[in-house]
Amino acid sequence: MVILRAENIKKKFGKLEVLKGIDITVSEGEIIAIIGPSGSGKSTLLRCLNKLERIDDGSIYLFEDAIAENGVYKSDKELRPILKNMGMVFQQFNLFPHKSVLDNIIDAPVTVNKISREEASENAKKLLENVGLADKSSAYPSQLSGGQQQRVAIARALAMNPRLLLFDEPTSALDPELTGEVLNVMTDLAKQKNTMIVVTHEIAFAKEVATRVIFMDGGHIIEEGTPEEVIDNPKNERTKQFLKRVT
Amino acid sequence: MQLFIKVTMSLLEGLGTTLKIFSLTLLMALPLGLLISLGAMSKFKIIKIPLKMLIWVIRGTPLMLQLIIFGLGPGLMGIMGMDMFLAVIIAFVLNYACYFAEIFRGGIESIPKGQYEAGTVLGYTKMQIFIRIILPQVIKRIIPPMGNEFLTLIKDTSLANTIMIYEITWNAKRMMNSEHILWPLFYSGLFYLILCGIVTVIFNYIEKKLDYYQ
Repeated sequence: MVILRAENIKKKFGKLEVLKGIDITVSEGEIIAIIGPSGSGKSTLLRCLNKLERIDDGSIYLFEDAIAENGVYKSDKELRPILKNMGMVFQQFNLFPHKSVLDNIIDAPVTVNKISREEASENAKKLLENVGLADKSSAYPSQLSGGQQQRVAIARALAMNPRLLLFDEPTSALDPELTGEVLNVMTDLAKQKNTMIVVTHEIAFAKEVATRVIFMDGGHIIEEGTPEEVIDNPKNERTKQFLKRVT
Repeated sequence: MQLFIKVTMSLLEGLGTTLKIFSLTLLMALPLGLLISLGAMSKFKIIKIPLKMLIWVIRGTPLMLQLIIFGLGPGLMGIMGMDMFLAVIIAFVLNYACYFAEIFRGGIESIPKGQYEAGTVLGYTKMQIFIRIILPQVIKRIIPPMGNEFLTLIKDTSLANTIMIYEITWNAKRMMNSEHILWPLFYSGLFYLILCGIVTVIFNYIEKKLDYYQ
């Protein structure tokens, strides 16, 4: 089943054209890794999908619901119930520093989805267990390591039961020795057939976990296919050069 | 001893007025200041520009001048005789709201964009993001500058005597003149010192209370 369909996405920052007509379709259970050099537009693409950035042209659909059509987004009010199905994990975690780990996770389910605090807490505790932080529910974000914060951020996104998870360079702000714990959690999510789009510099992770790899450069999708096709046997010269630089 | 009691009673009477000005100003200037700061950050120029002008004028002219204008202006212009206490409250609320507005603005602008984005992707409305995520963090950040403003306000209340409101300083001067003694002036300073001491202790307590996160 197709979950997300984006067609001919174009985006400019001032005069700089960052996305030059991107098409992407995501089916249920797919793990899509988007790789590419800095400035290639991969994070921008992700952020356009949930209106954190606005596209200038193109259409985006989540299931049958239009998010944007021909460059025009629906209103925030119309989008809110649709976009709840799309969770996002940020490079900088963006946890709420004034809330405990548990409150970070349950606040949106309670406030937005109106489920009871008890039910939300039960669910949050299971999620914390899954990300290996069962003992941290009363800690505050500043008391956690970067890797732990990012795992809480993943649990927070999962608490809304999204049908699609977006990861925007989830390990780029982490010390190298902390990336493993986050990637392990993401690997688990992949095994549980969560549908994910991951913008990443972790080529090994993309190769191991992704069902499809997209290589972007200069606002275009240059190459896409299975990890074997794109990472092990790239056809395009730019893909080859990029992979040579990063691996 | 009788004189001491007489002076004390007089200053306590002034203290009542001082506290009234202090608390009424805070009660109204804090929410008004928040509204002004939000308006001054609005993307609608028709709201933003007049409020920026207001902040500029109010912060750029002396409070004493504003007191005189609000107190005597309406009467001199033949519009209406102004109740002086009302004039004091209007001048103080407006003046402090503008200072508070700038403090709020600094606090709001210091919150990283990622906090708004995290709220948005979780489905919060803009209002929920502001109330549940942004404002609590703003309050923690503005506690130190707010503490300063509160102390300044306590001492600024003495300006009310320029338009005949009998607060502490006025009563101290009255005692000094009628009894031909100097010490009520120093004694009145003690009242301000104690008030400022209490406010300082309260703010230190709040700051400690909010120390549970960074």
